[in-house]
Amino acid sequence: MTRWLPDHVWIERGEEDSPIARRVRESLPGVPTTIAGDVRRAEPAGLEAFAAGKRRLVLQRHRGGFLQHCPAGTPGLVCCNYLVVDLVSNCPYDCSYCFLQDYLGNNPALKAFTNPGDALAEIDAVLRAHPERDFRIGTGELADSLALDPITGLTGELVPFFARHRNATLELKTKSDCVDNLLHLDPRGRVVVSWSVNATAICAEDEAGTASLGERLAAARRVQAAGYRVGFHFDPLIEHPGWEEGYRDTVALIAAAVDARRIAWISLGSLRLTPTLRTAMRARPQSTQVLSAELVPSPDGKARVWRGLRTKMYRTIQGYLREAFPNAPTYLCMEPAAVWQNVRGEAPSDREVAARLAAGVAR
Amino acid sequence: MAEATSADGVRAFAASRRFSVAIVERWLRLADGDRAALLRLAERLRLGENQFRDLLDWSEEIAVRERCSIADIWKRESLAAVLARPLGRNEMIVAVKSALRVLRFPQLAAAEARLAELIRQLKLPRGIRVHLPEHLEGDEVRIELSARSAGALRNRVAALQQALSAPQMDEIFRALEEAP
Repeated sequence: MTRWLPDHVWIERGEEDSPIARRVRESLPGVPTTIAGDVRRAEPAGLEAFAAGKRRLVLQRHRGGFLQHCPAGTPGLVCCNYLVVDLVSNCPYDCSYCFLQDYLGNNPALKAFTNPGDALAEIDAVLRAHPERDFRIGTGELADSLALDPITGLTGELVPFFARHRNATLELKTKSDCVDNLLHLDPRGRVVVSWSVNATAICAEDEAGTASLGERLAAARRVQAAGYRVGFHFDPLIEHPGWEEGYRDTVALIAAAVDARRIAWISLGSLRLTPTLRTAMRARPQSTQVLSAELVPSPDGKARVWRGLRTKMYRTIQGYLREAFPNAPTYLCMEPAAVWQNVRGEAPSDREVAARLAAGVAR
Repeated sequence: MAEATSADGVRAFAASRRFSVAIVERWLRLADGDRAALLRLAERLRLGENQFRDLLDWSEEIAVRERCSIADIWKRESLAAVLARPLGRNEMIVAVKSALRVLRFPQLAAAEARLAELIRQLKLPRGIRVHLPEHLEGDEVRIELSARSAGALRNRVAALQQALSAPQMDEIFRALEEAP
């Protein structure tokens, strides 16, 4: 895949000598850089603002707390008790279905925060306050966890931190193959590198800028060899002509690429679109087959493929997964207990789901 | 020349119906044949903006999915048959939208048709209504009994009791659980 490079770097005044700013400047010697007292100037405006925001990198201090509960923990849906920490905001890739094009529509500049040490201190305090709990913490909610790593080198701070803690697992979720920085670090079992995967037709047509499925799986193989457990997220599952074969083939490609015994977890999540995200997707210059799925309004206001068809998709793909990876923990993301019951014959509590996934790391 | 004509026609129609700039721009971005097909429909049905947007959204989504043009969709027999019916404007809009929905949601429409047939086979008397979840987005069936006397209510409960043991009742719940 082609490495992402910004057209311009903006650095908040006072943060020029932060470790991230130094690493970024060293790795991007030819990219114009502006140091500004108010980096809000870097926010693009106008019709093409979201696309423009992905071509510039802003390095700024994050004010406020870092650690949050995953927004997927919506009342009425079974939740896996996942925590997220946002060290980067926005993503250089341009997936047609990405919620960031709506969620970050008003502040689309790609930002990396210069004070990850504050985030780690906050996490450290939580882990020490609850030594009896097993936490799963991810950096891939508002960003791709690894897409900027060749420039920011953030994993060099994150992996050693989590390797020192026994009651937390870091999940680095990505659609990239930017794993080089991970290979010389020792995760000591506390880091899962996971890939968002899809049918190859969706990867090729709707995930612009990302690594191909083959490149993602080659990267998964490399990190497994370096001692990491890996995860896979079939999310969003997209109903499209030939979806059965498409997802079956992806499962087969994963099985051929990685050691099934060192898979921490696999999730399945159906495409979900807020009304405003749907509008943003329609405004994109290229049409997408994603909007042509049989989407209907759900009780939480998001559009999803109607329940019977979604259940069929989950059962079918879960069947492929059980055959290929009989011992890997699997779960559904953002589904009510009734769908869990129909698909899996069980409706576990949030805590049970979290415990199983923590056990997936411990295996 | 034809392209200019349909673009002018779109602008004139949209102005007469006070369509927003955004929807007009979207309409004008379509290929000429698609733009003209929707113009014929909009003029024929005197569509308002929201009605037009619904039909445009679905037409585009079907076209992407089936890799065909919007104009081709509107030539299909199922839609042409509806447009040939002697209906008033409002009834026609409802009928057209219903026919287009079958093309836009083929699996959902098939599941709904199957469920309607299963309910019909239960031969429930008047005063018993079966309500399915909207868009089949759920697995809960609601049954409504209405009566004007205790005797009538007893009769309906007895009829429902009989229907409960019919295989179609189990099939209804199975059909709601998973698409065929």
